[in-house]
Amino acid sequence: MSFPEYSVVALVLYLIALIGVAEFARRSRASSLPVDHFLANRELGLFVLFLTLYSTAYSGNSLLGYPGEAYRRGYVWIMATGFMLAIVVVFHAIVPVLRPIAVRYHFITPGDWIRYRFGGERGSTALRRAVAVLMLIALANFLLAQLIAMGHITESITGGIVPYWVGVVGLALIILVYEVLGGMRAVAWTDAVQGIVMLFGLGILLYWLMQTGGGLEAITLRVAEIRPAAVRVPGAVEQAKWFSSIILLGLASVIYPQAIQRIYAAKSWSALRGSMMLMSFMPLATTAVVTLIGIAAIVHFESLGSVEADTVMPRLLEIWAGEGGWQIFAATLVFIGALAAIMSTADSVLLSLSSLFSGDLLNRSQDDPATTKIGKAVGIVVMVAMAATALSPRFTLWRLIELKMELLIQCVPAFLIAMHWKNLRSAPVFWGLVVGTLISVTSVVFGFKRLAGFHVGVIGLLVNALIAWTGSLVLVQRSR
Amino acid sequence: MNSNQHRRARIRAGLLGLIALLYVVSIPWYRELGKDPEIWLGLPDWVAVALGCYAAAAVLNAIAWFLTEESDGEGQVGE
Repeated sequence: MSFPEYSVVALVLYLIALIGVAEFARRSRASSLPVDHFLANRELGLFVLFLTLYSTAYSGNSLLGYPGEAYRRGYVWIMATGFMLAIVVVFHAIVPVLRPIAVRYHFITPGDWIRYRFGGERGSTALRRAVAVLMLIALANFLLAQLIAMGHITESITGGIVPYWVGVVGLALIILVYEVLGGMRAVAWTDAVQGIVMLFGLGILLYWLMQTGGGLEAITLRVAEIRPAAVRVPGAVEQAKWFSSIILLGLASVIYPQAIQRIYAAKSWSALRGSMMLMSFMPLATTAVVTLIGIAAIVHFESLGSVEADTVMPRLLEIWAGEGGWQIFAATLVFIGALAAIMSTADSVLLSLSSLFSGDLLNRSQDDPATTKIGKAVGIVVMVAMAATALSPRFTLWRLIELKMELLIQCVPAFLIAMHWKNLRSAPVFWGLVVGTLISVTSVVFGFKRLAGFHVGVIGLLVNALIAWTGSLVLVQRSR
Repeated sequence: MNSNQHRRARIRAGLLGLIALLYVVSIPWYRELGKDPEIWLGLPDWVAVALGCYAAAAVLNAIAWFLTEESDGEGQVGE
């Protein structure tokens, strides 16, 4: 049997296993209430919580987009290790404040925080809905990126036996089935297995690349010959992008709805704290590794197009498997690990999207089982829409991440600043969010991505925070 | 907050300050732009420095999380 045929068999077995886990999770559910479906009844212990945080944070973007970006931009992509670590650092400003309040007041969605923090203030409902809309758009974008990644990797690895469109539609359908059946419990349990497979797969792929390339130094020297700019000290604009990416990703990623909901779903403070400690090392074990994989790909493929660069990982797997023997098995394992990581992020995003729509936008009661049903229906509609969009990908995976972050970062004042400054008022936060979003969206529409290397979303956030801060000071002065 | 908790909070704040410093050093703004690098540990020297900074920051961050007090049920919005 050839590598593509092995991959198809492994894919089918993996999908059957997923449905089995989902059915097991369905039987383990305690009730039909939203807290059980969306938060696994707040019972995630250290092992599962860490692995679900890990698998959700490191997704199709990390496994396909980041090697692609390292291939395109060279060693400067080491910045990705910095910004993925920045997420776990910035969590210091959120988790210790949010977790105890979330436990005490039984939060389920991110909007529950807005409801608690701004309560009966004028403009608080508008703020909660605006935050929900931004998060929903960001999540839909995130889901789209995962679907594109699933299509690419499946078509590439199976040598076209499973075409791109079947990869997108078929896997989207499987995700829908197990997410609807098992909710957060199924998502977290599958994430745990997927996280281990992903780590193991990346480790052996890196080992193979280093062996075939003659070691890290030989690869670096060869890259310096093929593409000297890939190893040189980056220019001022690239360095500004580096700094801006740390700000953008560090701030925006901590308010990922799926990350916030895992803070709510932790079984205990010690499980959450232990997960954060372990997560500190994952950028080194994952992002640095995929960056080196992308760099090693420069030696193997000298010139790929912009969107094609997102396929360097599956292309490397094909070469690896071509050596025959145990390499076929190892490459198949990496393929399943990568696909698992992508699917685990997609299902987490879909679950958050469902809960946000029903809880924050429609304002449904979290004590009503019908809220769970509405959430599931919303998930189906969104998945169909995103799968249809994914059939003609027009952006690189990294550009999709940037677009999502530039919107999500506008929610920072409503969470991060609101947790640390009690004078912050909802109306100025709302208007700041509107203006910051308009700056980001208008710039994107007119094709203006950065100012001197800084993302427009970061510039929008500065204006946004200034409006929230000055407006709140004025309102506090008036009330005195 | 008792004195032990104060001490842990001060150490944690110090660690987070060090992490911020490591981030500043990780970006090669102090290097000659576009220069061909030397190779350290198989990597361009500025990449080895950045990776070293992130490895140190990861260790400090894990310690900072370890020092973060258990706070179930005690949370409140800051001043």
